Amino acid sequence: MKFGKRLKQQTEESLPEWRDKYLSYKKLKKLVKLISSAPPTLSRSSLHCGGRAEAEFVYLLNAEIDKFNAFFMEQEEDFVIRHKELPQRIKNVMEKWGPNGSEASETEFKEQMAKIRKDIVNFHGEMILLMNYSNINYTGLAKILKKYDKRTGGVLRLPFIQRVLQQPFFTTDLISKLVKECESTIESAFPRWEREEEVVAVPGDGIFRNTVAALMTMREMRRGSSTYSHFSLPPLNMADIDVIQSLRVVAPIQIP
Amino acid sequence: MEAKHTLPIQRSGPRQLSSIGASASLSSSFPIHATALEETHPRFSEPPALSLERELMQHPPAVVSSFSSNNGAVGNIFSSSSGFSTDLHFSSIQQQQEKHSRQLPFVSQSANSGKSVQLLHSVDSQLLQSTASSHFIKENNDSWCTDTLPDFLDIPMSTTIQSSQLYGSNNSGITIPHEDLGKSNDWQDWADQLLTDNDALTADWSELLGDASVTDPEPKYSQQCNSISNQQTQIPQQLPSTPGEICTGGAQSSSNAAPGKQRMRWTPELHDTFVEAVNKLGGSERATPKGVLKLMKVEGLTIYHVKSHLQKYRTARYKPETTEESSDRKSAYIEDLSSLDLKTGIQITDALRLQMEVQKQLHEQLEIQRNLQLQIEEQGKYLQMMFEKQRKSGRDLFKGAPSSSENALKELRDVQNSLAGDSSALEASTSKKPGQTSQMAGEKQKTPEGVPSSPPPKRTKVDE
Repeated sequence: MKFGKRLKQQTEESLPEWRDKYLSYKKLKKLVKLISSAPPTLSRSSLHCGGRAEAEFVYLLNAEIDKFNAFFMEQEEDFVIRHKELPQRIKNVMEKWGPNGSEASETEFKEQMAKIRKDIVNFHGEMILLMNYSNINYTGLAKILKKYDKRTGGVLRLPFIQRVLQQPFFTTDLISKLVKECESTIESAFPRWEREEEVVAVPGDGIFRNTVAALMTMREMRRGSSTYSHFSLPPLNMADIDVIQSLRVVAPIQIP
Repeated sequence: MEAKHTLPIQRSGPRQLSSIGASASLSSSFPIHATALEETHPRFSEPPALSLERELMQHPPAVVSSFSSNNGAVGNIFSSSSGFSTDLHFSSIQQQQEKHSRQLPFVSQSANSGKSVQLLHSVDSQLLQSTASSHFIKENNDSWCTDTLPDFLDIPMSTTIQSSQLYGSNNSGITIPHEDLGKSNDWQDWADQLLTDNDALTADWSELLGDASVTDPEPKYSQQCNSISNQQTQIPQQLPSTPGEICTGGAQSSSNAAPGKQRMRWTPELHDTFVEAVNKLGGSERATPKGVLKLMKVEGLTIYHVKSHLQKYRTARYKPETTEESSDRKSAYIEDLSSLDLKTGIQITDALRLQMEVQKQLHEQLEIQRNLQLQIEEQGKYLQMMFEKQRKSGRDLFKGAPSSSENALKELRDVQNSLAGDSSALEASTSKKPGQTSQMAGEKQKTPEGVPSSPPPKRTKVDE
């Protein structure tokens, strides 16, 4: 149930239009319970209610995968479109208001670049949240399949998960590439400035908050479980995890 | 009725294959004949009308006919249910091979060729006889007008995962992208064309079966095949950098029931082609979907795809700021820009920098986690194989073949050792506690020698 809880948390903390796109873990769990409550020998019979639950289980799994794929690819498409726009905007701003620009104006330049910077950081964040989405759903699928096999003695898990590994929503290489591109754009366009003061940064709302939440969730989920096996992931290894945890302050201050 | 056009399958399919027990879902490494499904796994997310097709789909190999929308040549029908059969692996097959006549013609296309039809050899060569095909064709014509998406699709399980995959979807999901760009995927028209061009149809089939070399149908095939193959160029571990339009299609999975509503996976390359076309036509405002589609010359791309993409593109370009803002607003978190005045630029910068840091961390962790998950599954697969081997060797033992079983066991042990080694490496890289490492390795050693007949191995409780 721990995963279920974590998933729920993650879902609630995520961007609104994403919320119903996550895995219906609870529902699937209920089905597994239903299946395993039927006598195992008859569980494969379509005539038995156990068999029906089982069929429904697989049906639901596939529907979920479709859901993930559709949502993921739509988001991905958006990102593909946008990933060139930001560098283009930077270029335009440079050409117009930049030091050598046609209408060089430092204030204007700064203002525009600040906007772009915010946008690009958010863009970066969105992509990463999509990857997180993909990962969490995969984890959920893996877990529920494991449960299924355990409860029913079936062999659904292995082939199913092999298939899942190739689904669009799990093949996040493109997104990863876009993220890296984005990072390099940021590096080049916004050279690091000296940190003037310790910033008590509060994630507030929006993408930043979601990112922090995602990291926390990940850490929780990997905190080692009682049913450790060679299918389990080891605990999260992250240097700054405590620092990041401290970012979860109750009262949000808006970061414009 | 669906039954008709699945005749060749019926002859041998369900009867032959239903006896083959199999696990519920297919993995790419499964041989076709082992993937027959039992009754308890009916179709998923498909309208009732297609149940039979679905079933047949589950009983591979099925005949796949390729139908093009335009000239009446056969086009590709792919069932894209995400159920069991969504993974289509396309392998290139020479048409001229005589094997075709005894094998299941499965029209597919490799990711890169784009022009020729390739047939996938079915493992079970008994299933399709060339004589059946003509009958098949005839039957098809009758049934296709009325049917929606016949998807007696073969789900070939070749091991060439890399080539292409059709991502399954809810509907009986067949893509029939039209070469005629202005046209929408109208089944009725399509079916009409089929009926009118009967001769071409037969010709296509003959070619499929390796008879006379008919070059004509090729382009027709390719167009349809592409819809599948190019989309299937999923992006495994390397991104396709080939400029070919076909490859950049990416994977398709249909979103919902309607035919032709396949989702296209837009890669940067494909998008660049799109942008080029748009620019040629005078910019995003002036370009029309039809024009763009024509200019792009990407097979398998439908006007729907272009339309929706163009819309997104316009929104993204025209109001870049509002888009970004709206994406924030989408989350119903309205950020007050006027508060910009209250904070200094540096504070904002720092906040953003912090945000970047956290995001980068999350990204890194996600990558690591994903890789771990992949590795775990690899190992799991391997272990499973070993179970099988051991079980087999156990049986051999009964049959008095000690040497083979010994070898198998030895292999098993070697694998276990290497797996244990791998897993410790895995854990070391993620700084696990050493106690757990050895415990996990120990567990691995234990389980295969336990009860091999009960996969998956029991999870032992580990004290932390």
